[in-house]
Amino acid sequence: MTAVVKAESLTKRFGEVLAVADLSFTLQAGTITGFLGPNGAGKTTTLRMLLGLATPTSGRALLFDRPYAALAQPARRIGAVLEATDFHLGRSGRDHLRTLAQVVKLPDTRVDEVLRLVELQAAARRRVKGYSLGMRQRLGLAAALLGDPELLVLDEPANGLDPEGVRWLRDFLRAFALQGRTVLISSHQLAEVAQTVDQVLIISRGRLVVESSLEQLTARIRGSVRVRSAQPAHLQHALTQANIQTTTSNDHVLLVHGATSDRVGDIAFAAGIPIYELFTEGSSLEEIFLELTTGAQP
Amino acid sequence: MIALTKSELLKLRTTRTAFGLLLGMSALTILVSVLTGLLSHAGTLSGTENERQLLGLGNLAGIFSALAGILLVTSEYRYGTIRPTFLFTPRRPRVLAAKLAASALAGLLFGTVGEGLAFAIGYAILSGRGIALSLGGGDIAQLLLGTLASAAFFGVLGAELGTIIRNQVGAVITLLAWGLFIDTLVFSLVPSVGRFSPGNASDALIGVTEKNLLAPVTGAMVLIAWLAALALIALPLINRRDVL
Repeated sequence: MTAVVKAESLTKRFGEVLAVADLSFTLQAGTITGFLGPNGAGKTTTLRMLLGLATPTSGRALLFDRPYAALAQPARRIGAVLEATDFHLGRSGRDHLRTLAQVVKLPDTRVDEVLRLVELQAAARRRVKGYSLGMRQRLGLAAALLGDPELLVLDEPANGLDPEGVRWLRDFLRAFALQGRTVLISSHQLAEVAQTVDQVLIISRGRLVVESSLEQLTARIRGSVRVRSAQPAHLQHALTQANIQTTTSNDHVLLVHGATSDRVGDIAFAAGIPIYELFTEGSSLEEIFLELTTGAQP
Repeated sequence: MIALTKSELLKLRTTRTAFGLLLGMSALTILVSVLTGLLSHAGTLSGTENERQLLGLGNLAGIFSALAGILLVTSEYRYGTIRPTFLFTPRRPRVLAAKLAASALAGLLFGTVGEGLAFAIGYAILSGRGIALSLGGGDIAQLLLGTLASAAFFGVLGAELGTIIRNQVGAVITLLAWGLFIDTLVFSLVPSVGRFSPGNASDALIGVTEKNLLAPVTGAMVLIAWLAALALIALPLINRRDVL
């Protein structure tokens, strides 16, 4: 298997702020990877470094074994949508694509082809000013697809898409990956991409906290007990004494790992701590995502 | 490189900005030419310097092509299109070179239109008022070609300025402050230094002989030196700065 994307100890520092810290991962051809983390976790900075828009403070990023800028015609191998707003508002969608197609010597017929592909041909000659956010997302995607790339990098592509648009994008990316091509898609919501991706990279505060398949991640959530109490700190202490791992979910809620709800109830009763809510988590991927990204050690 | 330059020219052609600038320049050139030609006393219109001034009013093209050059670069940062631009051409010096070339060509167009209008109007007014032309053929050729060259020069200068400053408003204000105030101020206080400014060097290029201006050939060389110096500042900046 070939590594399509390889990040090697990528680090980016903005003055005092360490935006991305020692981030390493590899993406194989034919996979769809969700790049997840809360806002401000360093996703966008990482994507900029992969694509040669920002220079890493240290480490390096390789695409098809080369830094982005060293690829002969990167737009023919890699398509990227970074912001849904990267258009001159006074230029038509079609003209925007033509200015880019010109650079890689693609004919206007290719421009019309990608416009059809993203179902934007009706608005193609109108100025972008009049486009909805969803239309702009699709125009960005059209630009990324111009060069018929093997790798697609999408930063928060679901923003502004209606449910139908989200489904369209999911089907599109699935079909794209089935052709042996690769997708890296960032999001701050796991649920948004859970139905699309095969594997996830989760980062928090610039560091990689999870690199796993979606199945492995789903398996991790079993056996977690959610407990709401007036004295979560006392309860946490009591559980720790009993050798049970906990993480804080919010001010009043603890997530308890590797213990049944009965056991948690008994311990709380023995310690004299009132409990308002106690149940076993079965289904929420979002919970584990929150748990992983709010500072808890996995 | 040709494909890249064509792409930059296409960017110029596909928004209304450049057309607006061209239209504004034409209107202003017509207005100033007509007013100067009709309202001045015959005595202040005759003689080589006065004629050169009237017939050379097309040099207004300079400031407009500089604005076009600035906007070709800064609007990419303002609207974020710089991201797709750099994604398609990650070797940024090539993007800069293409933008400079496109700005020079735009400047040539601005100069041709502006000077064409100014010369036609000025010539018609002079002959209409019975003022015999005292400029020789060589002078006129220098005036016309010099104005074109200077408009192309200012287009490139604008693109370089936009690359260095990036912020649209900041770059435009810098251009106007530099062209309208600093140049004039320095020239009136210290002419021996002020004559090397882009505005005064381009005056020398088109053949203006008054004041303490440089010789035309020196003026041309000074203009080239300005472009080279600004390119040397712009190049490391465009390479080094992150686009987030």
